[in-house]
Amino acid sequence: MSGQTWADGAAIEPIEASASLVRANGGAGRVLLRAEHVVKHFPIRGGLLGVTTIGAVRAVDDVSFEVRRGETLGLVGESGCGKTTLGKVILRLIPATSGQVYVDDRPLFDLNATQLKEARRDLQVVFQDPYASLNPRMTVGEIVGEGPLVHGLTDKAKREELVRELLAKVGLNQSHIHRYPHEFSGGQRQRIGIARALALNPEFIVCDEPVSALDVSIQSQVLNLLDDLQQELGLTYLFIAHNLAVVEHISDRVGVMYLGKLVELADVDPLYAGPKHPYTVALLSAVPEPDPRRRKKRLVLKGDVPSPAAPPEGCRFNTRCWLREQLGNPERCETEEPVFRDVGAGHLVACHFNEEVTPQAIASAAERQLPVIGA
Amino acid sequence: MTVHRSDRPLLEIQDLRTHFFTQDGTVKAVDGVSYEIGDGKTVGVVGESGCGKSITALSVMRLIEQPGRIVGGSVLLRGRDLLRVDDAEMRDIRGNQISMIFQEPMTSLNPVYTCGDQISEAVSLHEAVGRRQAWERAVEMLQLVGIPDPARRAKQYPHELSGGMRQRVMIAMALSTNPELLIADEPTTALDVTIQAQILELMKSLRERNRMAIMLITHDLGVIAEMADDVVVMYAGQVVEQSDADTVFAKPHHPYTTGLLASIPRLGEKRQRLEVIQGVVPNPLNLPKGCLFKRRCPHAMPVCDTPPPLQEIARGHLSRCWLTPAGEPPAVGPEATGELAEAAASALQAPA
Repeated sequence: MSGQTWADGAAIEPIEASASLVRANGGAGRVLLRAEHVVKHFPIRGGLLGVTTIGAVRAVDDVSFEVRRGETLGLVGESGCGKTTLGKVILRLIPATSGQVYVDDRPLFDLNATQLKEARRDLQVVFQDPYASLNPRMTVGEIVGEGPLVHGLTDKAKREELVRELLAKVGLNQSHIHRYPHEFSGGQRQRIGIARALALNPEFIVCDEPVSALDVSIQSQVLNLLDDLQQELGLTYLFIAHNLAVVEHISDRVGVMYLGKLVELADVDPLYAGPKHPYTVALLSAVPEPDPRRRKKRLVLKGDVPSPAAPPEGCRFNTRCWLREQLGNPERCETEEPVFRDVGAGHLVACHFNEEVTPQAIASAAERQLPVIGA
Repeated sequence: MTVHRSDRPLLEIQDLRTHFFTQDGTVKAVDGVSYEIGDGKTVGVVGESGCGKSITALSVMRLIEQPGRIVGGSVLLRGRDLLRVDDAEMRDIRGNQISMIFQEPMTSLNPVYTCGDQISEAVSLHEAVGRRQAWERAVEMLQLVGIPDPARRAKQYPHELSGGMRQRVMIAMALSTNPELLIADEPTTALDVTIQAQILELMKSLRERNRMAIMLITHDLGVIAEMADDVVVMYAGQVVEQSDADTVFAKPHHPYTTGLLASIPRLGEKRQRLEVIQGVVPNPLNLPKGCLFKRRCPHAMPVCDTPPPLQEIARGHLSRCWLTPAGEPPAVGPEATGELAEAAASALQAPA
């Protein structure tokens, strides 16, 4: 068995061992996870017997990025942009079409089943829907304690104690350990989901829209909990969400996806204060602000997101791009795919004309907009 | 369409009570709700799931189904009580004077008819026009709501359209009869932010063009701030605060409103921690005595055992809270801070 690197130590010592082993490898700021040219295509079947592949939904198309130890990397984008698929692929919950993900320089996609099981201890996930992601026939104790049991980190006798500790950590009443998911509210269920993710003492958690199903007053409770846990346990998050204000609040760096591609990635403040991709500009402009005195002139994008089964040639955003229109529709946008590159201080952007994205250009684009109603 | 003008507001909801008689007990989903909507005004109704904002709207439309029943109050449309008109009249009012759009367009559109069929059906139900004319109106409406190539889209079925397009079709259908009041229940919640921006801009333009009033129900304070003239904040079946939008956002009075506004992350304001409203919404089958918010309220005090009335704390600004207009505890009674408030709150939570 070649699982030495992962299995070493981890198999013998309880929970702490594997995490501390990994943590000893590097301090905060070092790269924990590196995705290289990750591609995920879902085949579209057709033909007489439905077995011929007639096309592919290009959900994630050549995405590369790094997640640093101890940080929160936010990932935003609209539905269908591939952010959830990307989250699943980098955990190997679904197989990638091509590309590689390195966790502490170990190629995750090349691990065998035993190695993968070991690796998964450090890689956990919290799902969006707290109603669908908890088994209704299991008690909270069974749900939260299942992971450690499967990994042989605890036995049935000690499980209860472990689960009680975890429930306390996420702010749930320890005496609720024998209750079933339906007895809890949405916010409490999301706490159960978080406790389950923490049960293996992971280092990295993918949070896929963890608060979008919750009411406003409950959202802030869960966001604060995630914050506290990160501080306390030194966790690293990939935080996937469509709510730009939530992502700004929780993230250190933010990546923006459009139609299966990363189009911009930077530290949170420069990204929100000075977005360099026309799509990011429009996305931020579209957010309604909870302050009637700050009603703004919006930059409203035309049309819908094109189908990921047939993305536009060249730059994928070119069919909706306000900047391209402003620049007199340069041909390059339709023929040449922009390179995702560093334009200074680690600010990555994929646009041929990112230097033209200026406050003046944005203001004049918002002014020039045509009326939204016909006739 | 003739636009009636009178001193009375377009819609007056007065002391509306809609209760649900379930096996486990009576849920007072709407319990004494009153607010008005003036001609051409947009009133934003905000609150969390279960606060009764949608049930109020459905009561106005008289679309409450068993085990629910409107048990009291009145809904005056230009002075006429909708709760007392007969079913035929009500059908006439729905669509002609009041239209409604819902959160999830796919569940409100009929999947087996084309979009054009559905809009022209709405048109011909309310106006004496022939089929061809009704179809032409449908195409016109689709064009109005900014659907490209409307003649082709009219022949398509709902599943052939994107979410934003379907919501436009819903709006086109709702507006095809030129209603005076549009009830929009979470109209953009299911949509992506760039598409939401399109729909909000569309609603703004149509509101101006048709001088139409809107009851805008949403949990999104951003959408409210963007659209509403007046704001109604609901909690556990009651109105807890009500005023013009600027006042509610700048000078909220009720601790629930204050808490809601403080708990949302905002663009451009990076804070270390978010404020939270402690606890959860009370079980509707087991509401606390007195103020319904007291168990979660940082200002809870003994007087909160008595239900506070919705009272005017400044001109046009109503709040259901015992705090003085300046936000201070009332003169009598202990200081509502720290341990004392907590003790009071926990004493209140003890089962009666």
